[in-house]
Amino acid sequence: MRLMVLLKLAMRSVGRNVRRSILTSLAMVLGLALLVFSRSLAEGAYDEMIDSGVRMGSGHIAIQNPEYLASRKLEYRLEEKLVNLASEMTQDVLKESLVTWVPRLSVDGLASSTAAAVPVRIEGVDPDRERTFSNIESHLKDGRYLETGDRLHAYIGTELAQRLDVQVGSRFVLTAQTATGDVEGQLVRVAGIFQTGIPEVNQSLIHIPINTAREWLHTPGAASTLAFLLKGAELTNIGVETLQLKLENERKIRVLGWQESSPELAAAIRLDSTGNYIFHSILLAIIALAILNAVMISVLGRRREFGVLQAMGLTGVETGFVVFLEGLFLTFISGVAGISAGLLFTWGLFRDGLDFSIFMEDGMEFGGQIMEPIIIPRFSVEQILISTLVILSIGTISSLYPALRASKLDVAEAMKFEQ
Amino acid sequence: MAHDRLWWRVAWRNLWRNRLRTLITASGLAFGYLGAVLMVGVSDGMLVELIENGTRLMLGEVQVHSEDYLPERNMHRTIGGYEGTDLEIFLNQINSQEDVTAAAPRAYGGGLLSSGEETQAALLMGIDPDREPHVTTLLSRVVHGRPLVTGANEILLGSEMVEQLGTALGDEIVVVAPSSDGSMGNDLFTLVGTFDTGIPAIDQNYGLLALSDLQFLMAMDPARIHEVAITVGNAQDSPRIAETLREFLSDTELPVQVSSWTDLRPELAEMVSLMNAFHFIVVIIIFGMAAFGVANTMLIGTFERRREFAVVRALGTAPIGIGQTVVYEGIVLGMISLVAGSLITWPILVWLHNSPIDLTQVSSGFSVGGAQWRPVLRVEYSIESPIVAGLGLFLTSILAAVYPAWKATRVLPADALADR
Amino acid sequence: MTVRTLVTQLLNTALLLLLSSPIQAQTAREIIDRVDRLLRGESSRGQITMEITTEHWSRSLDMEIWSLGVEHSLVRVQSPAREEGTATLKAGQEVWNYLPRVDRTIKVPPSLMMGSWMGSHFTNDDLVKESRIVDDYDFEISFEGEREGVEVWEFQLTPRPEAPVVWGRIEEQVRKADLMPTWIRYYDEDGDLVRTLTFSGYKTMGGRLVPASMLVTPADKPEEQTVLTYHELDFDISVDESFFSLRNLRARR
Repeated sequence: MRLMVLLKLAMRSVGRNVRRSILTSLAMVLGLALLVFSRSLAEGAYDEMIDSGVRMGSGHIAIQNPEYLASRKLEYRLEEKLVNLASEMTQDVLKESLVTWVPRLSVDGLASSTAAAVPVRIEGVDPDRERTFSNIESHLKDGRYLETGDRLHAYIGTELAQRLDVQVGSRFVLTAQTATGDVEGQLVRVAGIFQTGIPEVNQSLIHIPINTAREWLHTPGAASTLAFLLKGAELTNIGVETLQLKLENERKIRVLGWQESSPELAAAIRLDSTGNYIFHSILLAIIALAILNAVMISVLGRRREFGVLQAMGLTGVETGFVVFLEGLFLTFISGVAGISAGLLFTWGLFRDGLDFSIFMEDGMEFGGQIMEPIIIPRFSVEQILISTLVILSIGTISSLYPALRASKLDVAEAMKFEQ
Repeated sequence: MAHDRLWWRVAWRNLWRNRLRTLITASGLAFGYLGAVLMVGVSDGMLVELIENGTRLMLGEVQVHSEDYLPERNMHRTIGGYEGTDLEIFLNQINSQEDVTAAAPRAYGGGLLSSGEETQAALLMGIDPDREPHVTTLLSRVVHGRPLVTGANEILLGSEMVEQLGTALGDEIVVVAPSSDGSMGNDLFTLVGTFDTGIPAIDQNYGLLALSDLQFLMAMDPARIHEVAITVGNAQDSPRIAETLREFLSDTELPVQVSSWTDLRPELAEMVSLMNAFHFIVVIIIFGMAAFGVANTMLIGTFERRREFAVVRALGTAPIGIGQTVVYEGIVLGMISLVAGSLITWPILVWLHNSPIDLTQVSSGFSVGGAQWRPVLRVEYSIESPIVAGLGLFLTSILAAVYPAWKATRVLPADALADR
Repeated sequence: MTVRTLVTQLLNTALLLLLSSPIQAQTAREIIDRVDRLLRGESSRGQITMEITTEHWSRSLDMEIWSLGVEHSLVRVQSPAREEGTATLKAGQEVWNYLPRVDRTIKVPPSLMMGSWMGSHFTNDDLVKESRIVDDYDFEISFEGEREGVEVWEFQLTPRPEAPVVWGRIEEQVRKADLMPTWIRYYDEDGDLVRTLTFSGYKTMGGRLVPASMLVTPADKPEEQTVLTYHELDFDISVDESFFSLRNLRARR
C-alpha cells in the first residue's frame, strides 16, 4: 500500500518539474544515442574491413598446400583430386553458413606487349563464382569483367594497362614457368580494366579464366587456393576447427582462417579496435560525467522539496526511496528514448552507408587489402544491450546520491527559507 | 566601475558559498576539456603517424628532381643534366630554407644482384650514409649487420631479397647495372646489413649502396644525382614548403621539379584527408558531448537558483545585475575549471607524447595506404586545439548560464518564490 | 629479332638459294617453313661489330659469336678493353652473362628477359625466342613485283589467333633474285610500326651470300639505332653442345 504511495509521489515529482527532469534525462538520452550511433558505425566499419579483406584475400576460410602461404609458388598447388575432395568436404561441413566459394590458381609471371614487359601476379579465376566473391568487378573502369565462356581474356589494372600501352581488346602475352618447368607464353586480350585505391594492385594483378590458366600451366583441375566465404566472420573459427579435424589425414592440405591467411588485415583490425576502444572510453567517461553532473547539480536545489516530503510524514529512508524511484524512472525513460533516438538517427541518415568516396573513390589500402569507401552501420544487439546497460547503470548509480542526501536531510534546516 | 567590481565580488562569493555546485560544474568542464583535448591529441597523433610512416621511411616530405626525371625515372636525367651540379652548394642552398630540416642526395639504378646460383632484378639506390639518417629512417631499419661505409663497396639488402638470393651477411654480391655510357657496370659488393621495413615492395626489391659507389658503378660523375629528399618541420605544410623551395630554386636556373609527398603519393594524401574527415567527426562527437555536459550542468544549476534570484530581485537588485553576476560567475568558474583542466590535461598529454603506449601486445605492424604502421598509440599536441577546445567549452558554459539567468530575471519574484 | 636469328636469317636465304628449286610455285608459308627446318643443326662462327647509338651515348663493341642450331649461342666481347671478355651464353631458354671484372657468371632472371642486351636495341628475349615463326604466324604474299628497280616479294606475317606473340603483324621484304631479305618491319596491333630491321652489305661469307649488315631502329626513337656488321662468318664449324657450357662461358681464350 505504502509502496504505491511512494511510487505515486515519485512519478508526480518527475511530472512536477518537467524542465529539470528533461534536462537531467537529456544527458542520458543524448549519451546513449551517441553510443548507439558510433558503435553501429564502428561495427559497420569492421564488417566492411573484414568483408573487403576476405573477399580480396582468401575468404574467411582458405584451403591450400601447407607450403603455399610462405612460398606462393605454383609448385605448391592442390591437384585436381585434392581440389575435389576439399571442396566437397568443405561444402558438406559448412552447409548453411557457406555463402560461396572460389578456386584460384595463381602464378607470378611477366606480362609483355610491344611497349613493355612488367612482372605481374596472374590469378586464374572462375568468372561467375569470382564476381560474387571478390569486389574487384566493382572497380571496373573500362570494358567488362570476365565471363563464363571467356578463354583468352584478362582483367587488368589501370597502371598495368598504361605501362603495357594496351586498351580493352588489345592483345598481350603472359609468360610464366609452368608445371613442366618450361617458360611458356599465353596470349590474352584485355577484357576489362579496373582501378583500385592501391597502386600495387593496379600495377600487378591480372585475372584470367581459371581454365585458361590450367591449360597454359599444364595443371588440369588444380588450384592454389580454395577460398570460402561465410555468412559471418564469427563462423570462421568453428568452421576451421571442424575442417582441420576432418582433413587431418591429408598432409597436403592446410585449412586457414582469414586471420591466418591475411595476418596484416587481422593486425589492422585489432589495432583499429584498440583505437575505437580508446575513443569509446573517452566518450563514455564524458557521458558518465555529464549524467552524474546533471543529477548532482539538480539535487542541490531540491533540499526544500525533500524537506516537504519528510514534513508530510515520510521517514528519511522513504524519502530517499522516493527520490531513487524518481531517478530510476527517469533513467528508464531516458534509456528507451536514447536507444530509439540513436537507432532512428543512425538508420534515418546513414542506412545507405556513410560515404567517404568523395575522398577516395577507388577505395583504400588497409592491412594489405582494399577497403571500400562506404561504411554501412550495423546494429548489433549485443553492442546496443551493452551500451544501454552501461548508461542505465550510470543513471541508477547516479540516482543513489540524491536518494542518500534526501534520506539524511535535516528537515528543519532544509525548510529554512534560504538554502 | 566600482559597481562592476561589486558584481565580480558577489559572483566570487556565490561560487565560494556553493562550493559543492561549483565543484561539480568545474569538474564537468575540466574533464570535458581533458577528453576533448586528449581525443584531438590521439587523432592528430594517428594522422602524423600516418604521414610520417608514409614519408619518413624512404620518401621524405619534399623531393627535388630534374624536371624531366619523373615519371619515367630515366637514369640519364640527373639534376643539372649531363654536367650535374655541385652537390655541396646545391644541398646548402636547399638547407638554407628555414622550413627545411635536412636534405639528402640520391641516385638510382636498375640492375641485377647475384649470389651463388641465384640472380634477382633489383632497384639500386645510392644514398649518402651520413646525410640520409637526417631525412629518412631507412637506415634505422637495418636489423642485422650495420649501415654502409662509403667507398668500401658495401651493400644493404632487404630481408626478403636476402632470402630470395639465399645469401648471408659478409657474402659477396655481384651487382650489375647498365651504366650511363651504355656499358654494363659490374662489381662485387659485400653484404654488410639487411633491413626490414615491413613493406614487401621495399624489402623484396631494393639494394642500398653508398652514393659514390653507385655513381662509380654506373660510370656517373659524382656531381650527378637523381634526387634530393628533404624533411621539413611540419609534414602537413609540405605543399607550401615545396612551393617556396620551387621559387627559391628557380633562381639557380637549374631546371628542377620540386614535389611534395602529396604529389608523389596521392593515395596517401587521399588517405590523410579521409582520416581527417573521420577524426573530425570523432572529435565533434566528443566535443559535442563534453559541451552538452557542461551546458546541461550549467542550465540545471542556474534554473535551480531561481528562488535565489527572486530573493535578490525582491531585495531591489536590477535584473541586469543578476545577469551580470551570473556571467561573472560563469567567467570565474570557467577560468578556474580550465586552469584545473589544463593542469590535469597537459601532464597526461606530454607524458603520452613522450612515451607513446606500445600496442605491440595487441597488434603487430601492418600497412595502411602503402605505409607501414607502428603499433603505438601516438599522441601529438598543438597550441590550437587546447585553445579552441578551452574557448569552446568556456563560451558554452557562459551561454548556458546566461539563458536561464535571463529567464529568471523575467519571472516575477513573487511567482518564483511561490515556486510557480 | 636477334643476333641468333640474324644468323638464322642469313642462313635461310643462303640455303634457299642453294636449293634452286622452283620456288615460284610455292606458297609463302612453304618457303619459310622449309627454311626453318633446314636450318636446325647448323653451326656457325662469326666476327661482328655492334654499333649502338642512343639519345644519351653511343658506343661500339667488337664481338665473336658462335652458334649451334637455334638452341645454343655464345657471344664474347673483344673490345673495348673495359668490357673485354664479357660474354653471353644462350642455352635453351636460359641466358647467362659472364662478367670478367668480377669473374662471375649470372643468370638473367625471367623478369629481365625483356631488358636490353648489352645496351643495344635487342632484348635478352630476342636471344632466347626460338624460331617458331612457322608455328605462330600465318603467311601471305602481300606484294610481288618491282620495288626501286628490284624484283621482290613482300610477305605479311599475321599471328595466329592464339599464338603467344606480342606483334600485331610483321612485314618482310625479300629480293626475288637471290632471296636476300631487305627489311623486316614489326607492327603493334593498332598497325603502328614499332621497330624496323634493315639488311644491307650483301656479300659472300663462308661460301654463302649473306647480308653482312643489319640495322635496328625503334620507331618511337628515330634517332636511335643499333648496327650489326659481320666481318667474318664461317659455317659448319666443329662445335658441339658441350661448347655452349657455363664452364666455357667463363674460360678466357
